[in-house]
Amino acid sequence: MRHVYAQNTPFEVEALKGVSLAVEPDEVLGIVGGTGSGKSTLVQHLNLLLEPTGGHVLVDGADARTLAKNELRRRVGLVFQFPEAALFAPTVEEDVAFAPRQLGLGEAEVRGRVRETLALLGAAHLAERSPHALSGGEKRRVAIAGVLAMGPEVLVLDEPTAGLDPATREDLLDVVRGLKVSGTTVVMVSHDLDEIAEVADRVCLLDAGEVRALGTPSEVFYASPAAAPATVRVASLLRSSHPEVGRPVRLDETLAALKVLLGA
Amino acid sequence: MKNSDEGARRSGPPIVFCESLTYSYPASTRPALTDVTFGLRAGEYVGVVGPNGGGKSTLVRLLNGLLRADSGSVRVGSLDPATEPYLVRRRVGMLFQNPDNGLVAPFVEDDVAFGLENLGIEREEMRERVREAILAVGLQGYERREPHTLSGGEKQRVALAGLIALDPEILLLDEPTSMLDASGRREVMERLENLRGERTVLHVTHHIEELLDSDRILVLNAGRLAADVSPEQLLSDASLLRENRLTLPPVLRLAAGLGLGTAKLRTPEELAREIGEKSGARAR
Amino acid sequence: MAATRGIGQFYPVASPLHALDPRAKILATAALVVGLFLVDSVAGLLALAAVLALLVTASRVPPGEFLRLLRPVAFIVALTVVFQVLFSREGSTLLDWGFLEVHTGGLRMGFFLALRILLLVSAAGILTATTAPLALADGIEDLLSPLQRLRFPAHEVAMMMTIALRFIPTLDEEAQKITRAQAARGADLSEGGPLRRVRATLPVLVPLTIGAFRRADELAEAMESRGYRGGEGRTRYRELRFRASDAIALAAAAGVLAGGILL
Repeated sequence: MRHVYAQNTPFEVEALKGVSLAVEPDEVLGIVGGTGSGKSTLVQHLNLLLEPTGGHVLVDGADARTLAKNELRRRVGLVFQFPEAALFAPTVEEDVAFAPRQLGLGEAEVRGRVRETLALLGAAHLAERSPHALSGGEKRRVAIAGVLAMGPEVLVLDEPTAGLDPATREDLLDVVRGLKVSGTTVVMVSHDLDEIAEVADRVCLLDAGEVRALGTPSEVFYASPAAAPATVRVASLLRSSHPEVGRPVRLDETLAALKVLLGA
Repeated sequence: MKNSDEGARRSGPPIVFCESLTYSYPASTRPALTDVTFGLRAGEYVGVVGPNGGGKSTLVRLLNGLLRADSGSVRVGSLDPATEPYLVRRRVGMLFQNPDNGLVAPFVEDDVAFGLENLGIEREEMRERVREAILAVGLQGYERREPHTLSGGEKQRVALAGLIALDPEILLLDEPTSMLDASGRREVMERLENLRGERTVLHVTHHIEELLDSDRILVLNAGRLAADVSPEQLLSDASLLRENRLTLPPVLRLAAGLGLGTAKLRTPEELAREIGEKSGARAR
Repeated sequence: MAATRGIGQFYPVASPLHALDPRAKILATAALVVGLFLVDSVAGLLALAAVLALLVTASRVPPGEFLRLLRPVAFIVALTVVFQVLFSREGSTLLDWGFLEVHTGGLRMGFFLALRILLLVSAAGILTATTAPLALADGIEDLLSPLQRLRFPAHEVAMMMTIALRFIPTLDEEAQKITRAQAARGADLSEGGPLRRVRATLPVLVPLTIGAFRRADELAEAMESRGYRGGEGRTRYRELRFRASDAIALAAAAGVLAGGILL
């Protein structure tokens, strides 16, 4: 069972207060909250880039501090916001190969991983290109591939669709769904509730450094429908007079429920 | 190409006019824009949408002289931006996509003053105009703040203040909200709506919901003008949306999926009300 | 977050020195520096040291800040002293250990040179501690502007300085972000021997530099769009006003310079 469990409170300004959270294997966990809620701070603890001032981070039951740094970062891969700022190699292949090489893997293995992850991200055709000549969406995929090439059990994405046009965003959400299917656990931070609604299995709502809600998207969003994805806002307004609407979260299920309502 | 006379809500000759505009970037094999023709009338609010790489940013840069067309003509007022860029830039203000890289000075008020300094305005008048511009975007108290301490929305508002201080008649907005989060986007769009006034605006964006009040929307795909239609027409044309990889936000998608008119339904609350009424009517 | 002190050693308090026009301060510092080089008696040097001590007090900047400034120079100073003391043959002999000799002349020279270096650094330190970086840039621009007639790009130099001031904190944050991103990919800058560490800076320096060039391009577009076309016909929002106190400061500096030459 792969399991990352954190309970922590860091910093001069208390950025996180008593956050307890368990990431279940093979799920897509969405972390949401306003600016300053502590989302980015929280996820940087998952691979100990930031160390908690209190509490601990457990990976599969073992305290993360006891693991070798590189080992931990291999198992919990973190992709920052606007990750393409860190692309540096002359070709896409070289860049994606960086992390696996740092892990000390053999050349053949490295090449294999590079090919696999580029294919997974739909960027295989970009292998020979210079990362700096790519479009924003392409760079984003290469950057994510660079972390995925480490073969992490958990992939943490901080605002992965920030700055992308809606079409590319859809493609990236498909990638996230694909990752889950192929056995990688995904933790996704986003301020965009609509996209979380589409991909998350569970949602954690942070506010001022504390966990306000944790559960299925339906549970979390319908508990506070004023600050929820558009789909939930619409449905919850109709629930009082039309309880048959139910509690849909994704667009397709919401559309279906509303169609029934209109007898379409 | 789809066209619409319903979109011609303003009358009179265009103050911005492009004819058969073609441009290729130096290192590129494909032209960024091919044979684009359109006009903007005074006071019109026109949106530009389309897939990435479609030529939207190129178009905007051709209009203020940052780029020079390979063939075809551009007229802003009676001026050609390629030959008289500085005169054109006195009448055209541009807001860029990256909020950080548009701020030149180490302090907010100095940055707002930048354009005025370039015009050689006297200091007294500069102070007055800077003060008013900062007020207009709601950043009173931010005068001595340093850019790196500001949020994305605040940075774009500083950039907007810099534009307002110059009082241009034409605004070119190149995806001003695409790097902002939802609250930043709201911040900037609110101010833009208030400050648009009688100005002529060309607004490039990926968020079609920002263009619901526009007079017309141009669709640029692979360097060609695919459509020049009203917002209602665009929102209700599923094939046009699909061909140009345009996606609608959830509320509009739900409305379209339910066959409801999309123009008046912007917020979840409005949609819910509409559905409530319709289903209530049905039940009766 | 990045250092709240900002760039350089500017120490923001209210003091008579802080209130002076930067142009006066730059010229006065230049006069002091020239004086420091021209003075050739220990008495003269000590007099200048007294003047600087007075300025440090007047600046209301804690002396500890100045000591921080002097730390990097301490090595050079020590080296100079050792060199002079051990290898000068002037004056009467004080000690004699085979080929190592210590003479009074060496002691005097060592002391003299060391003090001069410390005073030079202190003079520069007083300038930067009491003058905001932006004010310094404006002061330099104004002082250099007569040279525009000789085709010297005074305005461009000043513009480069203000843009640098604007972007240093931004680039700093960017560098930190990139470092963390690369750390997440297994490139830890804090581990390994010196060679490993240097190689490890590449994944940070390359993207930072490329990013900086991209920023520069976008900034140039923004500046041009806002009507920038070089310094011609440009006015300045910030004001530098020359007052009586500045004239007095300049006169005092000139006096000190004269004193230094005479002593």
